[in-house]
Amino acid sequence: MLKYIIQRIIAAFCTFVVVVVVVFFVLHFMPGEILDLSPKIDRSVRELIMAKYHLNEPLIVQFGYTMRDYLRLDFGYSLKVRPGVPVMNVVLERLPVTIQLNYFSAIVILPFGMIFGILMAVKKDTIFDHISSTIVILLISVPSFVLAALMQYILGFKLEWFPLILEAEPHLTWTKFYSMIMPILALSFGGIASIARTLRAEMAEVLTMDFMMLAKAKGLTYRQTLLRHALRNSCVPLASTFLYLFLGVLSSSLVIEQIFGVPGLSKTMMAAINGHDHWLTMGIVIFYCFIGLFMAILADLSYGVVDPRIRMGGKKDE
Amino acid sequence: MNDFQVCMENGEPLSQELLNIPKSELQQVVRKEKITDVEFKTESVSYGKDVWRRFIRSKVTIVATTVILLIVVMGIIGPYLSPHDYLTQRWDLKYMPPRIPIVEKLGILDGTRVLEVQVNDVESYGDAVVEDLGTFETSSAFGKGIMARIRVNMYVYNGVPDTYFWFGTDAVGRDMFARLWQGTRVSLILAFAVVAINLSVGLVVGAICGYYGGWVDLIIQRLMDVVWNIPSLPLTILLIMLFGTGIAPLILAFCLTGWMGTANGVRMQFYRYKNREYVLASRTMGASDTHTMFRHILPNAIGTVITQSALSVPGVVFQEAGLSYLGLGVQAPNPSIGVLLSDGQKVLMDYPFMIISPGIVIVLLMLAFNLMGNGLRDAFNPALRQ
Repeated sequence: MLKYIIQRIIAAFCTFVVVVVVVFFVLHFMPGEILDLSPKIDRSVRELIMAKYHLNEPLIVQFGYTMRDYLRLDFGYSLKVRPGVPVMNVVLERLPVTIQLNYFSAIVILPFGMIFGILMAVKKDTIFDHISSTIVILLISVPSFVLAALMQYILGFKLEWFPLILEAEPHLTWTKFYSMIMPILALSFGGIASIARTLRAEMAEVLTMDFMMLAKAKGLTYRQTLLRHALRNSCVPLASTFLYLFLGVLSSSLVIEQIFGVPGLSKTMMAAINGHDHWLTMGIVIFYCFIGLFMAILADLSYGVVDPRIRMGGKKDE
Repeated sequence: MNDFQVCMENGEPLSQELLNIPKSELQQVVRKEKITDVEFKTESVSYGKDVWRRFIRSKVTIVATTVILLIVVMGIIGPYLSPHDYLTQRWDLKYMPPRIPIVEKLGILDGTRVLEVQVNDVESYGDAVVEDLGTFETSSAFGKGIMARIRVNMYVYNGVPDTYFWFGTDAVGRDMFARLWQGTRVSLILAFAVVAINLSVGLVVGAICGYYGGWVDLIIQRLMDVVWNIPSLPLTILLIMLFGTGIAPLILAFCLTGWMGTANGVRMQFYRYKNREYVLASRTMGASDTHTMFRHILPNAIGTVITQSALSVPGVVFQEAGLSYLGLGVQAPNPSIGVLLSDGQKVLMDYPFMIISPGIVIVLLMLAFNLMGNGLRDAFNPALRQ
């Protein structure tokens, strides 16, 4: 087990290095100057920045300097999007709203997805199952941004139930949460549908297995057999889905953030890329990558936790 | 010990007459024809035929396939059906509401729009006013005023009563109908190209890894481990920023990691089947590696691969649309479904018709591909074979 974890971490570290190198060189090969010659920037400031990032040196030397800074956890300063603010602070500042949005929708997705999945498996081939399966396919097929536009127009504009865009309050207050309902819903439907679909398929299979009969024979109630034996077994393939839920939402929220005017991390990244704010872009991409790799390792390990039969590394005694 | 008794078919004992036939009348029966097994009445069914039969058995799958074919056909001929070109800009006719010849008599899609104007201005609309919806009061910084709500035929108002834009026009007066199908064409070309590249690269790499194994497999697997976990969205965005927006960079960005799923699936199948007896037999009889790989092992994997590909087509359309929302989609004069959607999103409150038609097409497309993918999966599933 330990060997496996170490293997995974080494692979993840390689990925991380590759991403850092690729992002650095892609960014610096991009057309356009890092420092534009706008008169707003004072000459002395310009020289300071040039000196700080060694912009006169060859690219490879610049890369070396940047890496040295990164090792000291110094991620540089934002130059254009938030001039003068350390990248770390920008990320930490924009992160809460993105995380709130993602995790609220994950909180919506998990129970609803599981309840619908279980119900559909239990009531397989009934009217309920057919109707819900249709709805699930529909929800998987409707892109979240089309759904968002639809909700924005009908619920927000015509019925005026919810505000059209996110409130700009700095902290999570009731009004802000209220304005977050629509983006949360837009993010949730697809997730609910895909979890319900997978869980239904898995559980329908588990329910026909012999050990379910045994569980019933030894005197467990239906509810007990369902929750203790069927659900746990059908969750094995879903373990990583649950984890990726947090990651997947993280990336799909980019468009949703754009539509609902959420000042989140993804929006900042777009601004940074468009404005050639290289250090901010790198910081955010590296942050995304770090979270992604962490989640991937966690997902792999979670298989072993959920299902003790799976022993990774291929050896019996590990 | 005389239990054995010969009897008639209906169970009655044989009559005395039959039991006492004289020996001279008995005669040995000799079959003149050779005895053979009965020939199968049913025709023999090949695997492909069987798959096809199960594929067309589901009505949902047939409907889905028909919808896909319709959309593909419209993607090919759609832009030419409209009397207007998808690039011609008419600045005097921007944001014209949809107007379709026969349907307009039903009161929908008749090129009208509800406007709120000052009462004094109503007359300037002249003949164009179709319906008066009453007046209401407003108060603004300039004091109170009475506004009238009128339904105006925008085509008459703009002096082109005989023009029909079936799905309306966009911000610079381009025909939405032609643009919609041109956009569908671009999105579909992109999706099919990406899927085709992913499929062929994935098949070859997966086959090599699975069949040969050893250090080739090890190196490719480690490389894939590294690349697989790169968060695709930031990388896609960076690539597009580097190479510019357009179809080719988009294809490159989508293919960068897309082939790995196929490769992994194919590799698994090859691992499972490469040591089977029939593969060994094929090799003993002198078949080349390529022959063994693609004629004997690959057909086992083909079902899952095809299903996966069908299911990944809507994914590409979806991703492209997502990128278009960020302004990173297909290049400007050329529309794609995503570009149309994001254009519509910008004027959602005032001109909702802009987002409705591309929205319907993308939903239909994704729905149909998902349903057809499910149908394919069932059709290829040997457990359901009858």
